[in-house]
Amino acid sequence: MEFFATSLLNGLSFGMILFLIAAGLSIIVGVMGIINLSHGALYMLGGYFGWMIAQRLGLNFWLAVFIGGLVAGLVGLFIERAFLRRLYKQMNEQVLLTFGFVYIITNICLWVWGGDAKVPFWDPALSGSFNLAGLLYPKTRIIVIAIGTVLAVFLWWLQNKTRVGAIIRAGMDDREMVTGLGINLARVSMLIFFLAAFIAGFAGVIGAQLWGVYSYQGLQTLLFALIIIIVGGIGSIQGALAGALIIGIVDAFGRALFPQLSMFFMFLVMIIILIAKPSGLLGRKI
Amino acid sequence: MEILRVENLSKSFGGVHAVNNISFSVEVGERLAVIGPNGAGKTTLFNLINGQLRPTAGRIYFCGQDITKMLTHQRAHAGQGRSFQLTSLFLNLTVFENALLALHGTKPSRYQMLRPITGYEDLMAKAEETLKTAALWEQKDELVKNISYGEQRRLEIALTTVLSDLRLLLLDEPSCGLTGAESADIIKMIHKLGRDITVLLVAHDMDLVFGVAERIMVLHYGEIIADGEPKEIQANPIVKEIYMGTMEGERNAGAS
Amino acid sequence: MEKDKWEGIRRLWQGRLGQFAPFIIVGLILLTIPHFAHADIQLMMAKSLAFATFAMGYNLVFGYTGLLSLGHGVYFGAGGYAVALLQYHLHIYSFWMAMPLAVAVSMLLAAILGPIVLRSTGMYFLLLTFAFGELFYSIAWQTKFMGVLSVAGQIAVRGIPGIVYPDVIPGIELTSTTFYYFIFTGFVICYILLYRITNSPFGHALVGIRESEPRMQALGYHTWRYKYIALIVSAGFSGVGGAMFAWNNAMIDPSHFAVGTSFLPMVMSIIGGSTTLFGPAIGAVIVTFVEYLASITIRARWPLILGGIFVVSVMFARAGIGVYLARLWEKVRVRYGNTKS
Repeated sequence: MEFFATSLLNGLSFGMILFLIAAGLSIIVGVMGIINLSHGALYMLGGYFGWMIAQRLGLNFWLAVFIGGLVAGLVGLFIERAFLRRLYKQMNEQVLLTFGFVYIITNICLWVWGGDAKVPFWDPALSGSFNLAGLLYPKTRIIVIAIGTVLAVFLWWLQNKTRVGAIIRAGMDDREMVTGLGINLARVSMLIFFLAAFIAGFAGVIGAQLWGVYSYQGLQTLLFALIIIIVGGIGSIQGALAGALIIGIVDAFGRALFPQLSMFFMFLVMIIILIAKPSGLLGRKI
Repeated sequence: MEILRVENLSKSFGGVHAVNNISFSVEVGERLAVIGPNGAGKTTLFNLINGQLRPTAGRIYFCGQDITKMLTHQRAHAGQGRSFQLTSLFLNLTVFENALLALHGTKPSRYQMLRPITGYEDLMAKAEETLKTAALWEQKDELVKNISYGEQRRLEIALTTVLSDLRLLLLDEPSCGLTGAESADIIKMIHKLGRDITVLLVAHDMDLVFGVAERIMVLHYGEIIADGEPKEIQANPIVKEIYMGTMEGERNAGAS
Repeated sequence: MEKDKWEGIRRLWQGRLGQFAPFIIVGLILLTIPHFAHADIQLMMAKSLAFATFAMGYNLVFGYTGLLSLGHGVYFGAGGYAVALLQYHLHIYSFWMAMPLAVAVSMLLAAILGPIVLRSTGMYFLLLTFAFGELFYSIAWQTKFMGVLSVAGQIAVRGIPGIVYPDVIPGIELTSTTFYYFIFTGFVICYILLYRITNSPFGHALVGIRESEPRMQALGYHTWRYKYIALIVSAGFSGVGGAMFAWNNAMIDPSHFAVGTSFLPMVMSIIGGSTTLFGPAIGAVIVTFVEYLASITIRARWPLILGGIFVVSVMFARAGIGVYLARLWEKVRVRYGNTKS
């Protein structure tokens, strides 16, 4: 029972972080038709900046989270404005360009912060564990689940209940039409891109509580995000959430039961979904 | 003899019934024009006959065979040739290469990996003949994206006729965007075709329709609202009512 | 009599000879360099030819058919590992067993993965191929069979080191120079094969599919089958490149399955020109050469430079250098061929 509960909570906390990363990527891909492979690198960049603020400078953890998000958001925005904006609908070029940025960002991070992995760090007030009906579980992970849930709800509200959200959803279906209606899709796009990048960097620091920060997170996080998108489907918050939670939980149980098979369970789920429903569980046909 | 029969054919996209339970048949050698306002379902019908879309309900019979589940390329082998409304020629290939590709489509040599595509004498000759007939031989080494729109349409139509066992020609808005003279060329080309080939035409250009069609079918909101000889259709009050503005508009535009 | 002689030569120049001249010149350069160059340069050039083969094979699917695959590392790695494992586990060094195996394994993998990967198009195809590359990386990383084991049975080294040159002619050992010529021959053979394939009806059909798949179907082509065959054929060439690479590099490791390797033929194709056959080869030489320069100057910053190359080639060199060179050559040929008599 304890094993089950622990694994479940592990899966949820892992899944929540994955959700944060995948949600942004999924919306950008689904709405703006942009494939941004540097999304994982933005997560990592946020993590490094957060580490610098919280550990090197010894400042407040939550400030670090915010700064991490901000830096990632600005870098992401820069990539979009300076480069991606000119590559509308050109998938090959977007892929090559954004992957180039993965290399660039990763190498710069290595240069600045060195090759040693940064150990997990968190708000000192959150040290220790909560006692959940007899089960001791780290406070940091509970907070991760909580933050993830709040964000999921916020993003869902944004997508389904606001004007911006309606524009996004319409833009997903028919970009030309939305522009034709006089809506400044470019401005909305910028906002969405910034938001998604911000969330990625934000997630980078939140995730650092569990895993720290290290230089191959750029690629690794990207891979996770892509698997989630494949499983959950592109273009919806619900899809990202479903994919993330499934992968997170499957991975947690898999790791606990067969530690030597680490990433295989993720791949297995992915392959099953691909064979059964190629467009993902909750995906829209693109 | 019947070449095409459509039974209770429907196609819906979500809640929209693009084609709504229609049935009709076509005899070998007929020249049938399908007309109707925008959104009436004409191109959808073509896409169903040619296989780009699967029907939501109903059946399609071609040369006596049930082709409802057949893939597009198989329908080409069965004898369907099709032109597209939006030019879908191979823009980054030359005119001559476009012709060669069209000619190889139903030949076993299309899988050949080691002989050059120019090594097939009979197909090279046929390509030359087709391009000369279409007055496009001068442009044979030009990239299709660099020739004029009129020339592109002419090429597209010419290449639909090269299919070796062509039985049914599906022309989707063949004269779209062409001048009066260019449209007249298309009418002439269709007249030259033998009676072993059946022609189905979707068009807005009334000169083309009346110049070619022996039978006109009018679609509206996915249903057939009239089907008969050109004179009957012209006199039909319902057709006039839904189509009046459009027809007049086309005639005026066509007479430029 | 004089006039006839010049007439004949001029016609040759304008015709076939003129077309082949750049290849002859490049061929001569590639053949003579090893004699004058230092072992490092030979190593680098052999590496560039291995990648050139990989990239040209990849481009059959990418540039010609228009499919954006990020998973060709699977086939490259398979070729390399086939050669390595044959040497490491079975002590078989014969080229005549290793190369066919490399090609067979890579093509078999493509035959298996093809139906899964080709179920989707565009972006999903990309994501899928990427994910499969990482899957293989993961397998190579974890599997004892694919690594060097320590005394205690744990994996000590990931990948297979110590790969030696293959035995081509029994009794004659390859030196680094003769190995280079051997690779060069392999590259030329692959080039000729790909030349025939791209000029064939099949090759033209691939381009047709890239340009307008619906039209190809309406013309009678079973487009899925073409994509599948193209994937398998391109995997074969990738496997050849992988084998060449393994012998040259003396080591193969899991990263050769992964996305880092899968991206290389793509950037090489784009830099060199993805619409031509030789473009990816040019791209391969350029990238390998720049990497070599970086390795002797600022090794740690190579990924940064590579990323920069990606960005620059997308923003400024879309058509590819190979295309510009080809156009330039045409101009030269026409200009110097047209002597006014």
